Amino acid sequence: MKKPELLLAGLFGCLTLSAAAPVLADDEPAQWESGEQVYQKVCGHCHEAGIGPVIKGRSLPPAYIETIVRHGFRAMPAIRASFIDDPSLNAVAEYVSKSAADTGEYGD
Amino acid sequence: MSEQTSTVLPKGVTASEFNTAVEKFRALLGDDNVLVRNDQLTPYKKVMMPRDAAENAPSAAVTATTVEQVQGVVRICNEHKIPVWTISTGNNFGYGSAAPVERGQVVLDLKKMNRIISVDAELGTALVEPGVTYQQLYDYLEENDIPLMLSFSAPSAIAGPLGNTMDRGVGYTPYGEHFLMQCGMEVVLANGDVYRTGMGSVEGDNAWQVFKWGYGPTLDGMFTQANYGICTKMGFWLMPRPPVTKPFEIKFEDETDIADIVEFIRPLRLAQVIPNSVVIAGTLWEAATCDTRRVHYTTEPGATPDEILKQIQKDKDLGAWNVYACLYGTPEQVEVNFNIVKGALKQLGKGKLVTEEEAGGTQPFDYRAKLMTGVPNLQEFGLYNWRGGGGSMWFAPVSQARGSECDKQYALAKDILNKHGLDYVGEFIVGWRDMHHVIDVLYDRSNDEERKRAEACFNELLDEFEKRGYAVYRVNTQFQDRVAQSYGSTKRRLEHTLKRALDPNNILAPGKSGIDLNNDF
Repeated sequence: MKKPELLLAGLFGCLTLSAAAPVLADDEPAQWESGEQVYQKVCGHCHEAGIGPVIKGRSLPPAYIETIVRHGFRAMPAIRASFIDDPSLNAVAEYVSKSAADTGEYGD
Repeated sequence: MSEQTSTVLPKGVTASEFNTAVEKFRALLGDDNVLVRNDQLTPYKKVMMPRDAAENAPSAAVTATTVEQVQGVVRICNEHKIPVWTISTGNNFGYGSAAPVERGQVVLDLKKMNRIISVDAELGTALVEPGVTYQQLYDYLEENDIPLMLSFSAPSAIAGPLGNTMDRGVGYTPYGEHFLMQCGMEVVLANGDVYRTGMGSVEGDNAWQVFKWGYGPTLDGMFTQANYGICTKMGFWLMPRPPVTKPFEIKFEDETDIADIVEFIRPLRLAQVIPNSVVIAGTLWEAATCDTRRVHYTTEPGATPDEILKQIQKDKDLGAWNVYACLYGTPEQVEVNFNIVKGALKQLGKGKLVTEEEAGGTQPFDYRAKLMTGVPNLQEFGLYNWRGGGGSMWFAPVSQARGSECDKQYALAKDILNKHGLDYVGEFIVGWRDMHHVIDVLYDRSNDEERKRAEACFNELLDEFEKRGYAVYRVNTQFQDRVAQSYGSTKRRLEHTLKRALDPNNILAPGKSGIDLNNDF
């Protein structure tokens, strides 16, 4: 059986456990705090750095984003549910889909 | 079994035997942690190697969250002779990613075992589970204001210390030889025993993370790049974050400068004036990591002509070789060592020194500085954009830290790559007395003709380097048996003797590093 308290302790650090209550509503707690957090800690490393294409501000359909994440695309790796679980993937897909375009170097 | 849509089976295992094992996995781990549907297995299949992805397709993936569950998985695998391929984060791109070495193996995915068990701020040690990423550990240190610095490979944000160290990966700080900094493993053996290396087997011990050797045989190394056990915890050392870090770069104009660069660096490295794993990166590595794509310069197929490389070098203000190093310590220590470096460079009579202030936050200096000071990023994935198409294989022969050797390896590698219509995109990572010559064989995996060329190229690289007494320190899963041959049959016989003794049913990752009881040894 899954042990969410264990996952949270690992993901957010033992000392910050009490502050790590997940905001996503589902049958079981999600692994990540929010879609925005997933974007910042994973996606943004490439998609905000000119490595992967800009994905914010393009109204990309969440279902499309989720498919690409699970399958990978050319050089983009496929990301497993053990790393970003389905509720968290859904949250980051919604976040990216609804986000406004950045105005930084790669966000124009 | 109605939802089981994957038709892939482990080698030599019947469907009914496999289904029985799957039912036992479900009873042990819960339905959600036993993945057998094609859509669930898709992300375990994506690879960057040239062979058909079907050759690495798993039959199932199971996720465990406790050591007891890992023991249970091993027990079931023994009962039904199911081969199991263990991954930690599974993000070892260019070395095989998350896919098993042989079609049909069950992936044991330990990403969910992601507890940072302990970090000792005073002793500078950590103990972690397989799924902990460097980003997670970095955030933990930051949030808790712990003044320790990480060393990691370039895919830092999504890779982790346990997996990287088990594969003997390297990083870019003074702690960059990661296996050297490993201190204490917990390993689940094929018979279900949980074995701790070093001091870890002593009842009541608290020195597991500070003293490596323990008593009697020290076996840690035997478990790395191997298939004798499943590592479920690893201890390692972290460097105290110094008051000052001073990353710098030295650009060299000509590709023929490589021998002089190595002769210049080695004494500084051996004397620990420069304490970190210095990098000497070629033009295209640098160009790709600052958003330069081949298509910006040419759409002609084949190797990129030298004139274009020179043009890129000029346009992007790069060296033919670009040395990155970093100094660490108090302001006084850093100043003394920087003066020694400047003095040696003056004596060499070439090379343009660039400081962090002069680089002004531009790439690729910025990501190199981050790698040398323990800040996670993924900038190096820019390499994949040079040609595009998602094909990448690391060819990483070891060499002496000697100018003449590097010159010879560079010329040989470039000739072979160019002959196959591919480019030399490489760097030397300076250990203490060795070099990891790391070459990214980049190709368009969506182009079948290029895929075949890349495969032929990689085989020729292995063959021609072997003829000259060189071998790689690590390789992707397509070529692991081939590389084992380079190291000779005596070593292989011993490895198979150990395998027979420790894992007689051949269930743990058969094929890893060419070790498989189905081999004729």
